[in-house]
Amino acid sequence: MDQSIPTVFVVDDDEEVRSALKLLFESVGLPVICFASALEYLDRFDGALPGCLVVDIRMPGMSGLDMQEKLNEYPIFPPVIIITGHGDVPMAVRAVQAGAVDFIEKPFRDQILLDSVHRAIEMDAKMRGEASRLSEIREHLDQLTPREREVLDLVISGMRNKNISEQLGITLSTVEAHRSRVMEKMQADSLSHLMRMMLTLEQE
Amino acid sequence: MTIFGDSFRYLFFFGLLSLQFCCSSLVYADTVRIGVLSHRGDQATLRMWGPTAEYLSASIPLHDFIIRPLKFDEVNPVVAAGEVDFVLVNPGIYVNLEVKYRVSRIATLYNRRNDVPYKIFGGVIFTRHDHSEINTLDDIRGHTMMAVYTTSLGGFQMAMREMVEHDIDPYSDLKELRFGGIHDRVVMSVLNGEVDIGTVRTDILERMASAGTIDLKDFRIINPQKVSEFPFALSTRLYPEWPFSKVAHTADNLAQQVAVALLNMPHDHHAALAGAYAGWTIPLDYQPVHDLFMSLKLPPYQYLGKFTLVDAISRYRYWLMGGLLMLLFMVVMTLWVMRLNNELQKAKDRLELQHELILDSVADGIYGVDMNGRSTFFNKAAERITGWGADDVIGQNQHEILHHSHKDGSPHRATDCPVYQTFRDNEARYISDDVFWRKDSTSFPVEYSSTPIRDEGGKTVGSVVVFRDITRRKNAEEKAQKHQIELARAGRLSTLGEMASGIAHELNQPLTAISTNAQASMRILESDRTNINVCVDVMEKIAAQADRAGEIIRQLRRLVRKEPLENAEVDVNDLVNAVAVLIRPDINRAEVRLELDMQKPLPKVLAQPIQIEQVILNLARNAIEALAEVSERERILHIVTREDSKESIRLWVRDNGPGIKAELESTLFDPFVTSKSDGMGLGLSISYGIIEAHGGKLSINPDYRTGAEFSFNLPVGEAG
Repeated sequence: MDQSIPTVFVVDDDEEVRSALKLLFESVGLPVICFASALEYLDRFDGALPGCLVVDIRMPGMSGLDMQEKLNEYPIFPPVIIITGHGDVPMAVRAVQAGAVDFIEKPFRDQILLDSVHRAIEMDAKMRGEASRLSEIREHLDQLTPREREVLDLVISGMRNKNISEQLGITLSTVEAHRSRVMEKMQADSLSHLMRMMLTLEQE
Repeated sequence: MTIFGDSFRYLFFFGLLSLQFCCSSLVYADTVRIGVLSHRGDQATLRMWGPTAEYLSASIPLHDFIIRPLKFDEVNPVVAAGEVDFVLVNPGIYVNLEVKYRVSRIATLYNRRNDVPYKIFGGVIFTRHDHSEINTLDDIRGHTMMAVYTTSLGGFQMAMREMVEHDIDPYSDLKELRFGGIHDRVVMSVLNGEVDIGTVRTDILERMASAGTIDLKDFRIINPQKVSEFPFALSTRLYPEWPFSKVAHTADNLAQQVAVALLNMPHDHHAALAGAYAGWTIPLDYQPVHDLFMSLKLPPYQYLGKFTLVDAISRYRYWLMGGLLMLLFMVVMTLWVMRLNNELQKAKDRLELQHELILDSVADGIYGVDMNGRSTFFNKAAERITGWGADDVIGQNQHEILHHSHKDGSPHRATDCPVYQTFRDNEARYISDDVFWRKDSTSFPVEYSSTPIRDEGGKTVGSVVVFRDITRRKNAEEKAQKHQIELARAGRLSTLGEMASGIAHELNQPLTAISTNAQASMRILESDRTNINVCVDVMEKIAAQADRAGEIIRQLRRLVRKEPLENAEVDVNDLVNAVAVLIRPDINRAEVRLELDMQKPLPKVLAQPIQIEQVILNLARNAIEALAEVSERERILHIVTREDSKESIRLWVRDNGPGIKAELESTLFDPFVTSKSDGMGLGLSISYGIIEAHGGKLSINPDYRTGAEFSFNLPVGEAG
């Protein structure tokens, strides 16, 4: 399976509903993988696969909501769309609090489900993109020497090179050399670019 | 004669001596006693007859004859006691002795009259010659008469016979009847004019005339008879003279010797002269004497006589007293029996009245039927209930009157009538639902029993039918049934409310599949019209899912609708399958494994299917709820159907949940008893009522310890 193509994961105990959903998603060109129960999905869970989850809330064994809670233990998982035959407000609230991106009552208009699925896949992709940028920054940070890291932290805090040389007890030319290697290693175009990268890290 | 006698005596002694050699015991001669009627006094008798005894003693060796004079009243007791061996009495007494004591005559006396022997004699009735008005027997009525004595043969009885034959009763038709005691006195009384008429034996008058005592001219003979060679005046028939008789105990050979001796006596023997007779002749026929006594109805023919009451009383006083006592006893007994009978009759009347009162005061109709099917009784309640009067029904065919048709008007054949079946098999029967017909041609529902009536021998002689109008009961039953149905329906609606979310989910699944499939197909066709084959497959799925949804809707509607009252033939397995559809969401949610173990084919039951389905649904849902508490093992719901017996099927609902608490078991089927927080507690109560109304029983198995086991049975039935 191409790991880059987002997939719709359908979890429903009703085979007929499963096959109908599969047909619907395939008709719009989305790859579909069906699971008959929450446990089956969790068994075969692979966080690396992009896409979204369409889960029936009422299933024997483990319910959709319980499955959602289990997924929260993982660093990354596809966004969850809850479908239900008897949606009531408390259940919907609980689902959304647990992180579901949508709550759809059966039976539904195809467009509503498809729109929701598309939104979820986008959300997933975005989530997955941000995640890869952060890891890139961390990777660059890891390449810095301790002295270079000290210089970076001081630059981010807004200190001038002269003040940095005084604080560190090193020559101005050494500060400048470290600074230029930081910019290079961090692949930063400018000081402001470097500042955004470091802010993003701090927000995480 | 003395010489003759002496020579006899010598001979006698000689004989004795000679006999002594033969038989030493015979030393003395036997004394032979001759009883002689002593009508003229004992002295005269001994004087007259002693010589005859001596003659006999002389004639017969070894026997010493003596005379025993007997007064009239001595004759019978002496002969009866056997105190004499021979008797010489007048023919009248002889005839009596002959009959009473079996004496038998061995010779008849020749009476000597004017030196002529006469062996016959009679009676003479006479009056003084100057009684010119007395000429014939018929003339003697109203006159005085004297006879010798009542038992004097010649001196009364012979004359009396002639009088009686002339329809003259001497005791009532004469002015006076007197008895003179001796012949001479009778004659003298007539002569003196003391009496008008006299009667004495023949020859008395002639003898007295020859003795010079009277003159025959002074007398006139009444009813004179002329008999040749009988020279005396005679008014009656002639009878034989006195007989000499032996009594019963006297030995025949002695009697023979005596007879021979008497017959051999010369007519002028001094013994004969002494006795004024002329010897003896062979015994005469005494039948005329018998005839005389018969005619006069005198002893021994007294029973022929007319007895006066006094006679009868004196003669039969012991019998009479005994008879009277007996009669008294019988009267007392009869009175007692009558009283008893009366009391019994009263008791019987009371019993009958009571019987009738009981029959008439019971509220149920009661009537009897005989072996021909006809009514034998019909009580008041039966009259009131049916409108038929007892007179309309008793004696008529009860089936034709009360029982001729079924409720729908089709004829009820007599051969199917349970009352007649009772006769055939002698078995009591109870019919819980039938109709009887009133006099006004309307019918009413009845329950009744027909019981054979058996007689003392155990043989069936009919039957008694007890019936009751059950219109009110039927109405109440129908009302109760309607109520039951309403209650059941309310229970179902309540159950459905509880099940709503599950059912909605169950319904949404196929709907989701349908709509999703349909929309997907549209997209496929819009993008590429060549994908028709794919869409045809999808359409099939859509149709199948629509059916699935429809089935659920159907099951729901079945449960919600008002069911008809009529029962239908139902296969309980079908109901189990229907319930399985409805409980699927619950089963899925509670993660219960449903195991169905159904006997196929299962006999059909007659039932209201929705109600039975409701019971199964209730039991299954209870089980599922109980199983929710189980976490450590697989939850199993087991529904089993089996043929229980020939008459019923049984369904079990088992779960392996925590089971029913023992303290709940006894009240489990009561309404509003529940262990759940969100239930009304009506489910089991309603279910119990439903099964009971179907003739079955819902129960819990208290011995099932690996969970709970409920079961119910239903009678197998075919639609009537």
